Amino acid sequence: MSPAAIVKQAQESGLNALALTDHNCTFNLPVFAEVCAREGMACLYGIEVNVLEEAHVLGLFDCLDSALELGKLVYESLPDVPNQAGILGDQPIVNGKDEILGFAEKTLYGASSLSLHSLLEEVHHLGGLCIPAHIARPTNGIISQLGFIPDEDFDAVELRSGDNPELAGRYPVLRNSDSHFLESIGAVYNELEMESLSVENLMAALSL
Amino acid sequence: MTIADIGKIENMECLQDRYEDRDITDAYTSDLLSDVMANASEYSVLITIQAHKNTVAVATLVGVPAIVICNNRPVDDDVLETAASEGIAVFRTAENQFQSSLRIGEGLKDL
Repeated sequence: MSPAAIVKQAQESGLNALALTDHNCTFNLPVFAEVCAREGMACLYGIEVNVLEEAHVLGLFDCLDSALELGKLVYESLPDVPNQAGILGDQPIVNGKDEILGFAEKTLYGASSLSLHSLLEEVHHLGGLCIPAHIARPTNGIISQLGFIPDEDFDAVELRSGDNPELAGRYPVLRNSDSHFLESIGAVYNELEMESLSVENLMAALSL
Repeated sequence: MTIADIGKIENMECLQDRYEDRDITDAYTSDLLSDVMANASEYSVLITIQAHKNTVAVATLVGVPAIVICNNRPVDDDVLETAASEGIAVFRTAENQFQSSLRIGEGLKDL
């Protein structure tokens, strides 16, 4: 699923904005930024980190460089296990024309040595939003991993479409598609009003 | 077997010793904290590779007075500080969860 194909599908689904949050890496964010700019699609630059607790947590940024800085830190914190494409699939890095430029060498399936708390501090330090992903999913959600939502300074939590909103406790809720395939892009979305897409405006809209 | 006896096990290092020594009646080996929360019993020693503050939170909730971190996983100071404030002992060993469980099982055998 290349950035160019993702943006095209998002346009066809009627989305006005989207975020790319690859697992444990940001290698495809520069081309995502380029495609979004070319197509006039509002976007946020993200990453879905598998933290030390093996829970998935999103970092969302409106500044590409900040997202890339976090991505570098996360990639360095992954176990030094080379990916074997035959087992877990390949991990291509592409350009705006869907041409493969290279591959992420380490397996992106592993867990970072950054804990939930350390990741949150890094994300906030870089001006991003820290949002535990699919918190009610039976695997790799914060509730399945810990049994509870720790009292941290999360900006929001992500629920799937049918999840009980009470699960979010005191945190604002984002409902996302967590799409891993083109056909599910736009299947779940948030309706939020803001003048332009930024971390600050997103937080203001979520806090209403 | 008491908490202090865990520290006498070969290659076991005590990282947090501000605890009140007491009898250990059981052990629970798991790296999934939601499982620990649901199934570990009070006064058990928790054997795990999950070395972060939320491990201490779950131990506190369940009433686990000692945690053994396996595979020499790094343990941050803030984890030990939180454990100290809860009076939970923290040990660490280079051995894995299976080997550590066997050794602690040996100590619990006479119960």
